[in-house]
Amino acid sequence: MDNLIIALGWAGLYGPMALGAIGSIIGCAIAGQAACGALLETESGHGRYIGLSAMPSSQTIYGIVVMFALQRPVTVASAPGLAAVGLLAGTALLWSAVRQGECVASAINTAKAKPEVLGLSIAPAAIVEGFGVFAFIFALVISAGIPR
Amino acid sequence: MARPIRYYMLMSSLPALPPLFHAKQLPISRLRLEQRLGLLEGTDAAELDRTEKLLSWQRLSLDVPDATLVEQAAVVLPRLQHPAVRAIVQERLELRTAVAALRRRQRGGPEPRQGEPWGHGRWVDHIRRHWRERTFQLEPIFPWLSEAERLVRAGGAAELERLLMDIVWTRLTRAVAGHYFDLLAVTIYVLKWDLLERRLAYDGGAALERFDSLTHEGLGDFDRPFEPSG
Repeated sequence: MDNLIIALGWAGLYGPMALGAIGSIIGCAIAGQAACGALLETESGHGRYIGLSAMPSSQTIYGIVVMFALQRPVTVASAPGLAAVGLLAGTALLWSAVRQGECVASAINTAKAKPEVLGLSIAPAAIVEGFGVFAFIFALVISAGIPR
Repeated sequence: MARPIRYYMLMSSLPALPPLFHAKQLPISRLRLEQRLGLLEGTDAAELDRTEKLLSWQRLSLDVPDATLVEQAAVVLPRLQHPAVRAIVQERLELRTAVAALRRRQRGGPEPRQGEPWGHGRWVDHIRRHWRERTFQLEPIFPWLSEAERLVRAGGAAELERLLMDIVWTRLTRAVAGHYFDLLAVTIYVLKWDLLERRLAYDGGAALERFDSLTHEGLGDFDRPFEPSG
């Protein structure tokens, strides 16, 4: 049983980074494909589309920071806390990256037809990012309570 | 996950379609559209092809009898995988059935016999039973039928076509709400593109007619300048 708890502790430690990266991979792929499609159809603003498609990469950075904040010896005492905080924060980061990728794809699709609304069309993606930031910040705050 | 992601590139590579009756030209040519649709996977491309074969007038031969078309619809419709696409095709064929009935009656054609393959959908028998009623008692289902019947009776073919195009365009726009990057979005884009192409083709004919009329007016008596006078 102890081994399972320790394994979960390690999963919680590496989870935010791994899940955040998975989310970023999917999110950037979605937004990137939309950007590539827009390149076929537009004559200018290509840099903006490609730049936007990198938005979901921030979740990987948040995951790395959470992983470092959680870093401590993995024991039976610390493992449950590490698993709970790490895996839940990682799941939130994964989901926010995927959904942000979809928002960015829609923003690119909209801005392609009406370039003047590009700024406004990014707002949903920024809001989704905000929830990812909440998960990130409060994972840092709550990690202070996990025994070392 | 790989299959839905493909739609992000495809839909973003297609230009936005202008409003049906304000368009001056197609935003993308058929050739370019076909190239972009090459991004679809085999099964999705086949689904789109089946849908277009049933609905696109450009791909329907005028020589084909109604019975063949009805049979084709009965075979192809159940093979459509996407329920929303199937619903759109079904609805469109039912609309055509109702309009075909109006035109047949106006032409003085005979009342359809039971079992005769003249239309498709849920209302074929209903229309046959209410053949002598103005709108076949279908107004609760098709609220536009009264106006369509008036236009058929008045011989307003162009106005009727405009009305039907408007109805189909609006229905397609409603059906695609909430779908941005999937097969339904692609199918509706292509169906709307077909509609737009047809509308612009009609306008091309009208423009040619107008051009001929203006040329004739402008030239007046000089329309045969090299003909010997007297």
